[in-house]
Amino acid sequence: MMTAFVQGCSPASQRPEPLQQGLIYCSEGNPESFNPQLVTSGTTVDATSAQLYDRLLDYDPERQEFLPGLAKTWHALDQGTRYRFELRPNVGFHQTNWFTPTRNFNAKDVIFSFERWLDPTHPYHAIGGGRYPFFSSSGLRSLISKIEQVDDYTVDIHLRRADSSFLANLATDFAIILSAEYGAQLLQQQQPEQIDRQPVGTGPFIFEEFRKDAVVRYRRNQDYWRQAAAIEQLVFSITPNANKRMLKLLTGECDVIPYPLVDELQQLADTSEIKVTSAINPSVAFWAFNTERPPFNQPLVRRALAHAINRSAIIDAIYQGNARTATGMLPETSWAYAAQESGYVYDPELAQELLQQAGFPQGFSMDIWAMPVQRAYNPNAQRMAELIQADLARIGVQANIVSYEWNVFRQRLAQGEHDSVLIGWVADNADPDNFFRPVLSCAAKQSGNNRARWCDPTFDQLLLRAISEDKRSQRTELYRQIEQYVFTQAPLIPIANSLRFQAQRTDVEGLTPPSYGGLDFRQARRLEQEPQQ
Amino acid sequence: MRYTLQRLLLLLITLVLLSLFTFSLNYFFPGDVLTNMTGIRAIDANQYASVALERDINASFPQQYITYLGHILSGQWGQSLITQEDVFQTMTPLLGASLELIVLTMLLSMLLGAPLGIYAALTEGGSFDRIITGLGLSSYSIPVFWLAQMLILFFAVKLGIAPISGQINPLYDVPVTSGAVLIDIWLNDYPYPYAALLDALNHLWLPIIVLSIMPMTMLIRITRGAVLDVLRQNYIRAARARGLKGSTILTRHVLPNAMQQVVGQLGLLFSLLMSNIIIVEVIFNWPGIGSWLVKSIYERDYPILQAGVLVFATLILLVNVAVELFHAWRYPQVRKELYAE
Repeated sequence: MMTAFVQGCSPASQRPEPLQQGLIYCSEGNPESFNPQLVTSGTTVDATSAQLYDRLLDYDPERQEFLPGLAKTWHALDQGTRYRFELRPNVGFHQTNWFTPTRNFNAKDVIFSFERWLDPTHPYHAIGGGRYPFFSSSGLRSLISKIEQVDDYTVDIHLRRADSSFLANLATDFAIILSAEYGAQLLQQQQPEQIDRQPVGTGPFIFEEFRKDAVVRYRRNQDYWRQAAAIEQLVFSITPNANKRMLKLLTGECDVIPYPLVDELQQLADTSEIKVTSAINPSVAFWAFNTERPPFNQPLVRRALAHAINRSAIIDAIYQGNARTATGMLPETSWAYAAQESGYVYDPELAQELLQQAGFPQGFSMDIWAMPVQRAYNPNAQRMAELIQADLARIGVQANIVSYEWNVFRQRLAQGEHDSVLIGWVADNADPDNFFRPVLSCAAKQSGNNRARWCDPTFDQLLLRAISEDKRSQRTELYRQIEQYVFTQAPLIPIANSLRFQAQRTDVEGLTPPSYGGLDFRQARRLEQEPQQ
Repeated sequence: MRYTLQRLLLLLITLVLLSLFTFSLNYFFPGDVLTNMTGIRAIDANQYASVALERDINASFPQQYITYLGHILSGQWGQSLITQEDVFQTMTPLLGASLELIVLTMLLSMLLGAPLGIYAALTEGGSFDRIITGLGLSSYSIPVFWLAQMLILFFAVKLGIAPISGQINPLYDVPVTSGAVLIDIWLNDYPYPYAALLDALNHLWLPIIVLSIMPMTMLIRITRGAVLDVLRQNYIRAARARGLKGSTILTRHVLPNAMQQVVGQLGLLFSLLMSNIIIVEVIFNWPGIGSWLVKSIYERDYPILQAGVLVFATLILLVNVAVELFHAWRYPQVRKELYAE
């Protein structure tokens, strides 16, 4: 069968020109916006951040250090409450059909981009919904007191208090730099909402077109300030169906696909035309309860449910060895990870006892919302929901599985319409804080990202103590306490830490699944000759 | 003339009923009526207030409906709840893509279906006739979604001679103007016309074959039946008795009369094709009206949902009326039959 595939593809040299110089990435969904400031979804970040924009600084996950981006250097001043950034000169914005820049990147653009999410009176603040989930839930919005232009190429950011996760947050895919000049032009044309639909950035690719459910098209930015991208054209072909994605990879209609079906990974990995790569993903899949709704407002009920589900069986069925049972929110790769007991033990009798104590000897009925898409942390939420449903039936809890289209699903989640939900979190940066504050803090509840809708002052206090500290050993101890607190309160049940998989044709190289944040296509290229069979 | 007026009046009434239906959908869908209608949410206070005024949302139902009709007719179909893009502008290239499939499918089915049906009728009872009717019956009973998947597995995955989905390899950045990719390549002076054209055709043939199986087999059966029917008529026997050549009888007497019955059924064929096109567009990721409609149902995008229903139903109605009018114009006896009722 495999030889048939080989015959179906002509050698690279015989391909027509546009096909040789481009790359097709079959993404799993539509980007919600072309501005990652407005979103938290990995799909959107993959499609936009590293392609269209640059940040002040980048993060190198291998060496665990920050690299200069649009800022050449940075210093912490005033005991870590003020940071000074020296900006890079001679960086140009994209020239497109809808915008021609007249000046290079400078401090004004940094101020513009930061104030958009920082300052509620900024003309662009309310555009695109006025919610900046990452910045609210990571606490950056309340942390930064002022951003100030010192000269054209120097910016000072004043913090309300020292925060050891500040630089890590600036290096995420969300803290991108927009063009102030483009913003002003759109305001004048009275169509400010275009800033997120026809984006202009400084990144390695220039936006060309977006057709919903079909394609996103980018062209190489020839004048990129670093080495320009190797491919002329980058196309995101939107293919939500995982089976179809895999078939399209086999026929060569996709060069790279994310989230291949784990069941068929082995089959894919055998062929000489297709290669599967993976990266340890700083992610966690969890089952969150809407703690605002009875009976889930009682910790006893939540813990009962936690003991009722057989997590190791679930992981065997869903991930087939490509994940590890989560002991807490932090994955093994985090420096703050502390080995603990395996978390909630599977014990239906204990679960029943707890339910009785909570006043539900007969059980109750509830909804489980299951994501309609595959994510790195959960390749099949529907199936997971079915397994949980079966486990719950054993303790007399009747569960209904609910699902919507992905964007609708998240909108409704943010409005708190669910009883419980199977979802997860992918860390944006290497700081352990990123596993708690954006997921479980009161600020995260306000931004709609706290799927448990849990707001506990004791917990927030602990988080605050942990980030105000800058000694690692102290912080590690605090995060251990935080994990313990989450464990006893059980606003959510961590299920698995997984690997992020990606499958690609062997004639593509330079694109590895990221271990933090979104994909970056700058290094991706197509090999001239297909490898010998 | 009277017949034409009658038909057009009926068309008008049906269209009004259809628009009444889509109008009332706004009230039946959950959520805010004005948001369902225009796609503008109440959070956008300024815009919301201005469309509320524009749409007479506080007036009586008849007044609201008339305003709604005005907007539909002038192409102001609101914006998508998901992308905030103008619904009418989004719709036009999608309609083009669907029409491309529809027209090519109808052409293929007629070019193959009618001659095969005639041939089967002429060799009635022969082995070819049996094969054709047998194959026709079995392929008529195959569900389209299954057939599409099987052909994809066979031609695309196993043989690797056809792509799985889409209109064209997306690396060919052919600008979208009409939506029909063959026309777009030609219209826009695309720099690699032959490679792009070849690629587009390569993407087209599989969905067209899947789509045309059903109308083609129906057409074979209808044509065969009609030709056999005519062959049994007295005037054919008379013509034979007068010693006319077989070919003359066929082209001068049999076919024109048989075609009358066939043309009468084209409207029905088209309606069936339209229900299949939804499935085929979804399976082949064809950026057409059908997949658009299905997607809008998943996404609860009400402005698009009603636009999709409206376009679909209107298309079916228009084609049916056009076929009826042509039928009556071409074959006057049809009109007489109708008046006799």
